[in-house]
Amino acid sequence: MSVDLDQTPRSLLVCDRSSFLDEKNRISSQVEQLHFNYKVSVLLPECSSAPSHLDSVLNSFSSFYLIRKLPIYELLDKHFLETAVYQGSVYGLSYRTRIDEDNCVALMPNGRLCLSLDKDSFQVLGVEGKSSRFNHRTNSRYVVSVDLTDSSMAPGGRGYMRLLTGLRSRLHLKSDFLLSHHPGGGASLQPLLSRYDWSEHRPEISTHAMTHLSCPTLLTSDLQSRDTHSFLEWLGAVDGDISCVNSSSSFLSSFVCPEPKTTLSRALRVSICGLLLPQDVHRLIQEIRSYLEQPRLESWVSLTVHGFADSPVSWGGREHGVLRGGENFYTLLMFHDHTYHLHLATGAHDSCPP
Amino acid sequence: MSVFMDLNLSYTADRDALQSLIESAAHLGFSTVAINYVFEPTAKKKQEIPTPTPISELIDQLPIVQGRSRPIRVLNRLTIVMSDSSHFRPNAAEYRSFDLLALQPTTEKLFHAACMLYDVDIICISVTEKLPFFFKRAPVNGAVDRGLVFEVSYSAAIRDSTMRRYTIANAISLMESCKGKSVILSSAAEKALEIRGPYDVTNLGLLFGLSDGDAKEAVSSTCRSVLLHAVSVLRDQEDGQWDHLHHEELQ
Repeated sequence: MSVDLDQTPRSLLVCDRSSFLDEKNRISSQVEQLHFNYKVSVLLPECSSAPSHLDSVLNSFSSFYLIRKLPIYELLDKHFLETAVYQGSVYGLSYRTRIDEDNCVALMPNGRLCLSLDKDSFQVLGVEGKSSRFNHRTNSRYVVSVDLTDSSMAPGGRGYMRLLTGLRSRLHLKSDFLLSHHPGGGASLQPLLSRYDWSEHRPEISTHAMTHLSCPTLLTSDLQSRDTHSFLEWLGAVDGDISCVNSSSSFLSSFVCPEPKTTLSRALRVSICGLLLPQDVHRLIQEIRSYLEQPRLESWVSLTVHGFADSPVSWGGREHGVLRGGENFYTLLMFHDHTYHLHLATGAHDSCPP
Repeated sequence: MSVFMDLNLSYTADRDALQSLIESAAHLGFSTVAINYVFEPTAKKKQEIPTPTPISELIDQLPIVQGRSRPIRVLNRLTIVMSDSSHFRPNAAEYRSFDLLALQPTTEKLFHAACMLYDVDIICISVTEKLPFFFKRAPVNGAVDRGLVFEVSYSAAIRDSTMRRYTIANAISLMESCKGKSVILSSAAEKALEIRGPYDVTNLGLLFGLSDGDAKEAVSSTCRSVLLHAVSVLRDQEDGQWDHLHHEELQ
């Protein structure tokens, strides 16, 4: 009587290596496709305080709004569609809802509204949808995805009225909602916000300076695949303030810095949290590229962008779920010669990153 | 998937301990818990089935579940440890005040009767001693068809290393008979330190021989189907709590 413990929950890691100067690099589409970004953390080696340009870019990240108990049918409001959804892009995500426990809602910038519902809610709503790809044994989760910019969903149309009556009278779906708009900022969202209890938030920035950090030596050539896992683990340990000393007397952490390694006399860790737009992440990447152009002691910078663990969608609107952890993030390791290593990672219930 | 539930928190008379138990369950992410009153009738003297204390007397303000915006739901459950067939009286009036009914049979004959005949929701697997009988496929399949579930509790494994061996061995032998379906994992915690978070319990399920998906269901959807089974068996619920079950989950 023994149990097979060899199988661990799977995770996906896609590694891409290219240069910013190469025309065929896909970095901008890969950055843009992760619509909902929760946290960006940057590790600057041999740096003790944030350079002013970097600081100003971080401070210029767009604000976002939190509406409490928004009834979801309001996202189909004709005026809201005309002023916000059809012009520019709206990023919206239900807040404090768990993807494996509750009903979750996402409004993507291309006008797609995605509802991830449990079986009862889906049957009560009565709108066409598909069963989730990550169902186990029985169908317990369903995904309803509609394109609000499509002609069939124009206000007054059949599909539109069916969804609207479903959300308004059959399934009273209500949740806290995070909302952001590009490029307009809050102006086009005001009519919707003013009807409910809302608050504006600035993304939270925190910086942490470290001394005597042991770090793997990074050369532009050759980071083998097994080294990638240990490098990402080390990077995560640095970000989470976890000791990599692995002394025999401590049982808390057995993470180690991968060999070959050096010691940095100083390093700076900057992170920013909130509902972050991919356009702001793109600007940050360009700013770091110009930072790297000047000669430095250490010629690399790493940037990690985390998606929301409880979002119903990850890259490109593909379905996202949580089995054990809902990680969907990418790490961009940039070098001074404009080359980069990109690692995109997801957990078990997710499709392959682009 | 449905919300995470822990359907076995031991009842203690100490109100503060019970309150901290419920608070730590909410903090860990459980949306529904059940206070378990254990009734162990002995041949010696006649004992009365305990009546559950109303939840409003146990705790003033139900804590909000971490990461969600809803307070934790607390139910009442009765577990009868049976060593003789007279210990369980079908359709007894005292059972009506409990939301869930569970049996812990100690002999093979009683296990067979519990699986095939008795009107209960949960059958508890003993984790503190070597299994007194083997699980046969026939009663296990019969129980699964009727909508019953088998429960494995893990806090004995936290308290003592010998119990840990019994828990794992008994759980693995159950999984071999039932193939991982209709199983729930719960804590049977007496103190706040003995309860573990839902994802940790899912990992523990792997040690018991459940697959990834089955182990997660054992803490969520299977528990939900037990609650729905308890409602469907007409057992007059006077406080009408069950009308709220569907409405809350829909929102």
